[in-house]
Amino acid sequence: MNKKILTGAEIIWECLIKEGVDVVFGYPGGAILPAYDALSKYSDRVHHVLTRHEQGATHMADGYARASGKVGVAIATSGPGAANMVTGIATAMMDSVPIVCITGQVPRPAIGTDAFQETDIAGTVIPVSKHSYLVMEIERLAETIKEGFSIARSGRPGPVLIDIPKDIQSESIEFNYPERPVMIPGVETETFASKEELDFAVNLIASSERPVILAGHGILLSGASNEIVNLAEICGIPVGWTLLGSGAIPSSHPLNMGMMGMHGEYAVNNAIQEADLLIACGMRFDDRVTGNTKTYSMNSKKIHFDIDPAEINKNIKVDLGVCGDLKTILKQLLPKLQKKKNQEWLETITKWQNESNQRDIINTKTEVLYGAQVISDLWHETNGDAIIVSDVGQHQMLEAQYYQHDEPNTLLTSGGLGTMGFSLPAAIGASFFRKDKDIWVIVGDGSIQMTITELATAVQEGSNIKIAIINNGYLGMVRQWQQLFYDERYNETPISSPDYLKIAEAYGLKGYRVTSRNEIPSTVEMATKIKGPVLVEFVVEQHDMVYPMVPAGADLNQMISRPVHEQFKESEM
Amino acid sequence: MRQTLIVFVQDEPGVLNRVSSMIRKRNFNIISLVAGRTEKTGITRMTIVLNEPDKTKQKIIVNNLKKLIDVYDVVDATDIECHLREYALIKIRIGGDDKMLNSIIETGDCRVLNKSNDIIILEISGDEEKVEDMINRLNEYEIIELMRSGKMAMVYGDDEDYKPKLVKSDPDWATKQLQQSF
Repeated sequence: MNKKILTGAEIIWECLIKEGVDVVFGYPGGAILPAYDALSKYSDRVHHVLTRHEQGATHMADGYARASGKVGVAIATSGPGAANMVTGIATAMMDSVPIVCITGQVPRPAIGTDAFQETDIAGTVIPVSKHSYLVMEIERLAETIKEGFSIARSGRPGPVLIDIPKDIQSESIEFNYPERPVMIPGVETETFASKEELDFAVNLIASSERPVILAGHGILLSGASNEIVNLAEICGIPVGWTLLGSGAIPSSHPLNMGMMGMHGEYAVNNAIQEADLLIACGMRFDDRVTGNTKTYSMNSKKIHFDIDPAEINKNIKVDLGVCGDLKTILKQLLPKLQKKKNQEWLETITKWQNESNQRDIINTKTEVLYGAQVISDLWHETNGDAIIVSDVGQHQMLEAQYYQHDEPNTLLTSGGLGTMGFSLPAAIGASFFRKDKDIWVIVGDGSIQMTITELATAVQEGSNIKIAIINNGYLGMVRQWQQLFYDERYNETPISSPDYLKIAEAYGLKGYRVTSRNEIPSTVEMATKIKGPVLVEFVVEQHDMVYPMVPAGADLNQMISRPVHEQFKESEM
Repeated sequence: MRQTLIVFVQDEPGVLNRVSSMIRKRNFNIISLVAGRTEKTGITRMTIVLNEPDKTKQKIIVNNLKKLIDVYDVVDATDIECHLREYALIKIRIGGDDKMLNSIIETGDCRVLNKSNDIIILEISGDEEKVEDMINRLNEYEIIELMRSGKMAMVYGDDEDYKPKLVKSDPDWATKQLQQSF
């Protein structure tokens, strides 16, 4: 048998290939140079995307992972390169996204000497990652990478960082990819529900008259969309979803109510408050979905299905918490359920829905263009079939309200951490997997300027992404809070933008500007026809607000409703 | 009410950092933390005492500790019969009259470790109350230095329910199982 002697740098690439990686996002530098030097031997099997910032690399890996369900990989050098990754790692952690970040570190003898570009990155990311490693022996390099991938994707997924000193990358050793399974401390986790738990759940569901399903990201991660729809249909239960649970149930489904929470639909929040049973699936009762936890759905029994035991009873006390894989639990539960209709309850909800529909801006002719109209029309023009990558702010909430997703994993957005600048790089990452669909970035004028450098990456890679900048000249969501809660003192929220058409031209991509609603269909069509990145700026009403809104800490049904628009009042008369 | 946890972790660099970082990040307060080797190589045992009266939150901290990759198992010893010991080193100046000191030593709860002229180093071990009580009694003298350890906990008897599970497993185990079943 011939021995395969490889350098640490080569082992990194060999291991990535063994883990099924075919694209990585990175940025070279001193301490990761040996790995980059070895890349030429592997470039036929791994495509390296040169980003313009390490944060961009992590978001690309994140977007790739969200779109594909595979582990995304980002690479950076030590010190500032690694430190720039922290935001991306924290973003992936909050949204349970499996990514592996590989960083170069100063050579072992220099560790702890405040060497040039030295940062204790494995220590830095402890609170914001699932796990982190500093590899100190080349003998452990391969098994560490294998372990890192295993940890990133298993259970509740999350980001893992592997820090590899430069001298280890240059050392050589016989390479054997460890075939035995990874072993980490702890017992094997249960993925099934017990008979007692199932019986309890069945009883609660059978005796409820006003049940609501709360659909979260866990449904998408577990691939349990069909099971959720079945559960809803068998027992006549309406479904509200969290931001990351978008697409868990098709928007067109009659039992879909829409998004819950701070900017959720009036009917959903009302239904949650009035419910006598909540079935929370793969969600974590974030403060943005509960409002005031003391008054949250006070008269309901609560069932919580989640893979993470630490989420049970964390924010909201539940009557039954079942830990395990959602798809498995639901598959166990479904055959035990009795058919139900809950007719009266569903009619009440329909009544609430009709009330709020009357206030909708998209049904109105207006002189200025509204963000909601842009997104609603974009949904219409793309046949609801695009992958949407939204950023953070007003446009993100409008997207959730007006782009009707019928399939899971078609909305990628930073929900938990709310990372501005996420969308453009995440879309570039996603474009390496989702070549079958149009990818639209929906981003504000504030957010795009945070990671606008990645336009260069999009052009360099010919990424087939369409970037819709919703430009209102403000950090709109912050301005909205200033208007409502800080007596309209708009400190530092008006924000200027460069001329986006010139930006597009300078970076070498097509750019369009839309200022009125009737231009939307033709522009979207033009943009879609072009292969490669396209930028479309939508100049919208500056002082628009996102409604409905539950003020932070208020009771969930204490919502500020959408105002009735002037023209709509006239047409009513 | 305090919460007493016995935590079994992998003896890896930075593991203390991970444990304390998690507790800090979740906004819990450490009253004391003692760590040391065990009868099993590669396994470090910690006794952590937290200032957390809320039973629900106590459960949350246990679940979050178990989630750490380096953690084998956590035994919540708050409500089970166990021995809680702590240790103190105390340096006093007796200044001539050691009658009182002799009576303290005779109780058997403290030992003289070193005596140079009128300066004595004593060790005290016992439960918190006893250590507290001894220190109060020694307050008669001038206390030059005092150092207390945190608590160490050991559960009584041999009940299976309170035995830590010190095994390793494949994190992908569940995923592989699921792939087979669907």
